[in-house]
Amino acid sequence: MKFYKVPGKQMKFDELFRLLNFCKTIQTEGTDPFDLDVKKFLETLKQYHKKWKSLDDLLLDAEAIAELAKIIELQGKWIKDRSSSFYIDPVLLELKLKMLEPQQLATAFFKSWHPIISLDRITPQRLTEGLAYWDALLPLGERIDEFPFPSAVKSTFDIEDLIELNILSKTEFDDSIRAVLNELEVRGRIEYHDFIYGASFETSVKKAYLTSYLVNEGKAELDINPLEEEVFISPSYYTNVNAQAHHTQSRSIPISLSYEDWLQWMQKRNQE
Amino acid sequence: MDAEEESGIRTERKVKKAAQLLFFRRHRIPGVKGWELKKALGDDYVEVIAVLNSVLDTLGMEVKLISEEGGEKEEGEEKKAERDRFMIVLKSPVIEKASGERIDNIAMLSATLAYIISKQGKVPRKAVEEFLSDKFPKQRVYFAIDRYIKQGYVGEDDKALYIGWRTRAEVDRKALLDLILS
Repeated sequence: MKFYKVPGKQMKFDELFRLLNFCKTIQTEGTDPFDLDVKKFLETLKQYHKKWKSLDDLLLDAEAIAELAKIIELQGKWIKDRSSSFYIDPVLLELKLKMLEPQQLATAFFKSWHPIISLDRITPQRLTEGLAYWDALLPLGERIDEFPFPSAVKSTFDIEDLIELNILSKTEFDDSIRAVLNELEVRGRIEYHDFIYGASFETSVKKAYLTSYLVNEGKAELDINPLEEEVFISPSYYTNVNAQAHHTQSRSIPISLSYEDWLQWMQKRNQE
Repeated sequence: MDAEEESGIRTERKVKKAAQLLFFRRHRIPGVKGWELKKALGDDYVEVIAVLNSVLDTLGMEVKLISEEGGEKEEGEEKKAERDRFMIVLKSPVIEKASGERIDNIAMLSATLAYIISKQGKVPRKAVEEFLSDKFPKQRVYFAIDRYIKQGYVGEDDKALYIGWRTRAEVDRKALLDLILS
């Protein structure tokens, strides 16, 4: 304690700044708030208290008290967290979670699960309300403002943008398209998903993207059988040979790809 | 009809109404707020719920109070109860299959919840993604986390994940951690 008895002004500030920085480090780094000796901190402030003269001195004193209050609050929270029944060493739990099989994790969940019991039912009253709402609803043409067209042009990147941003090079993109076309020429007419899907979902999506360019440029054609819900793709020369004089109007065709669909396709392929 | 009989009939009617309100979904999130029950059943709604609870108990169910701030409330805190959500849950844990979810998804959910709880209830989404991708492909992890958020098991705020309302209502978090550590 003798150390604090006759401090010079610079010494006072150094000591206080050091303590203030320590408080801030605890708050930002999340270290143990009990590393700070609160009692000693208060004694230090008490030693200096009578020597404060200027407004700056008092402001520094107030700041120190405010920081100390934050640390005490953190200490309270720290005790609350660790005394709660939920406190478990995160490292231990992480290790345990990594060791457990998915089956064991699922069993643990089911054994601690008390599902909510809730039913949905449409009542005659709700149906009447729905009908009244329908009757009051104006035709779509008169409510077009409620469904604005998305400003897609402003928010999407096309291939030119990507090339301009040096994310992709034109040669690289052309090579990728040529590789997909070569593969299609080798495989001939084939079911679209069988052609697109591959060993990983990521490459499948990439291939679908590149294939859309082939179809756009007329190098490949899609043949859709709506009844069987089948889509076939073939290189253009293949279709031309089979239906030379058959001119069809071009149109956009959305074909969905999903991770679940890809998984099913993989399972089916593995079974075969 | 004497006064006692009349009061019994009135209570029975209120209990039936409370059961309908709690069993059938009225909002996107199941359950009913305390003030809604008060409006529908009267000032003695807490007593009515207590009677309903004793009936449900014989069927292995119970009415649970979930606060909006988090944590469960003990019965008796009537003032706070008006802001709380009342819902019916199964009293005993379900051992048999009671969900159409794939085992992988349940395993990921279980690990996610335990991980969040162990980190004092809030953790960056990226940390959870990295943790889960130790055992599952990243695409599936992203998809699963989005689903848990949509289902209400996990909440997301500023790229951080926290325990959602549905976990607070359905999962005995202490039991989950004990089972994982045992």
